[in-house]
Amino acid sequence: MLSVKNLTKKFAGKDALKGISFEVARGEIYGLLGHNGAGKSTTLGIILSMVSAGSGEVTIDGISVQKNPRKALRKVGAIFESPAFYDYMSGWDNLKVLVGLSGPFDKKAAKEIVEKVGLTERIHSKVGAYSHGMRQRLALAQSLLPEPEILLLDEPTDGLDPEGIKWFRDFVLGLRKERGMTVLFNSHLLSEVEQMCDRVSIIRAGELVYEGAVNDLRDDRPGLRLRASPEGTLTEVVRGFGGEKMPGDRWVFPEDTRIPAVVRALVEAGAEVSEVTPVRRSLEDVYLEHSRLSKP
Amino acid sequence: MMFFSQLKGELKKLFARKRTYIGYVVFLIFEALLLTLWVKVGRAQFEALAERNFIPVELLSSSLTATYWIMGFSMFLLGSIYFALVAGDIVAKETEDGNMRMVLSRPVSRLRILVLKYCAVLIYTVTFVIFVGVTGYGMALLAMGSEGGLFIWNPEMYILAVYPDRNEAFQRLFMGACFMGLSMCVVTSLGFFFSCLKIKPAAASVMALSVFFIDFVLQNIPFLANHKDAFITFRMANWIYVLQENIPWERIIESYSILMGLNISLFIMGWMVFQSRDFKT
Repeated sequence: MLSVKNLTKKFAGKDALKGISFEVARGEIYGLLGHNGAGKSTTLGIILSMVSAGSGEVTIDGISVQKNPRKALRKVGAIFESPAFYDYMSGWDNLKVLVGLSGPFDKKAAKEIVEKVGLTERIHSKVGAYSHGMRQRLALAQSLLPEPEILLLDEPTDGLDPEGIKWFRDFVLGLRKERGMTVLFNSHLLSEVEQMCDRVSIIRAGELVYEGAVNDLRDDRPGLRLRASPEGTLTEVVRGFGGEKMPGDRWVFPEDTRIPAVVRALVEAGAEVSEVTPVRRSLEDVYLEHSRLSKP
Repeated sequence: MMFFSQLKGELKKLFARKRTYIGYVVFLIFEALLLTLWVKVGRAQFEALAERNFIPVELLSSSLTATYWIMGFSMFLLGSIYFALVAGDIVAKETEDGNMRMVLSRPVSRLRILVLKYCAVLIYTVTFVIFVGVTGYGMALLAMGSEGGLFIWNPEMYILAVYPDRNEAFQRLFMGACFMGLSMCVVTSLGFFFSCLKIKPAAASVMALSVFFIDFVLQNIPFLANHKDAFITFRMANWIYVLQENIPWERIIESYSILMGLNISLFIMGWMVFQSRDFKT
């Protein structure tokens, strides 16, 4: 559905993107993770033809965004962090003006979407009086008109309260279930990406440093946060069980490892054990590992 | 058809703002002030002038003449500032506020976005000048009654014209308002061009006004008197020739062709800059 090939971009002579490539399949929810300034928004900007690429190409359903942006963007709906509407106009008028740029404004479809995002009662109020959550719902409504096939979400849950985040997540997951919507989700909220996305890539300093299925990241191997002294004894004993050191005092072991045996061995070796906490390798761990491993 | 519905949306954005109406109110107050000055001070001087030139005062010291006076001064003094402000905002403000990203995420070309904005702001300019003419005339009617024709005297443009017939006077004045509206489109185009650059909306307005006033000051330097034709503000002032008894159409067509060429050039330059810009947070 979406193909990004070898994107490069420089801002003021500095590399913002250094050959980013990834593909998003139809019906897939794909996460783009990275620190602020990593290049996520630049990538999204290029996909939306708002930012020119130094080199590389983006195609949406086989149509090149660089060669035929109007045709390619017909299939796209987009939401940005802090969506900027015309505050002095009502939500309905904002929809009319923005959706009208894509084609004729279908009142019936618009009413349905407005109802779906739960804005029916306030749609004729001025957007200036909307809360951040309501703005985000309006942004969602405008992005779904007229019927896109792919949604590009640029940090859409930033600033939302937990209830709002959950509503947004459920809504997007519902869109995929009902319409088979393809979603590119750009965020630095790791838990959101973990809960929503099928696949994820991590961008660091303009480079794609990791790409894989979210399920692959869930490491089922037993993991422990271990603290003991002396450190040399800890390392020696744990390595003897096939343990592998991860960032943040975290160790992972082969699947058949019996953790009580590890602790007993540590005590018998004379180590003073101060912490033994079972941990699971989260997306955050993967993110941090890749952030540390790949220096720019 | 789609273009017109999109243009309607653009005009809606322009007219949904409160400050647009504040502008209208400010102009109404300014017109009332000018009319008061005309009735209290200007009228007596004008009547003396008319008497010296053997022109029947009772016929020409009229609401139409007052309208001409109000229209000319309010547009020159306040209109240029106002149009530069509105046009300076039209692209730059949306870019600054982040609305432009929402617009650009739609399957619409940047050229079309600019054409829509430019058309909207031009329509706004011309209709605003006509609004000033119509309301100025309405106020003058209330203050001075409906009697009398139109007396035009502008020594700088070498014009002295008298229209005792009220219908002809009205038609000429309306035509004048339309041409003045076209002239003011140059200020709007300047504001629009600067608005397309990567600068703040206020900076775009200030730049447009700077160009306008520098041109006006240069035009009025005595040793450049023989080169007035080279200045934008002089060409803009050519609207007044439609009030001359024998309208010099050749001169008017020449001036408005130059102004139109300038407007198109400003639009194209603005578009080229806008097209090459990256829009990020």
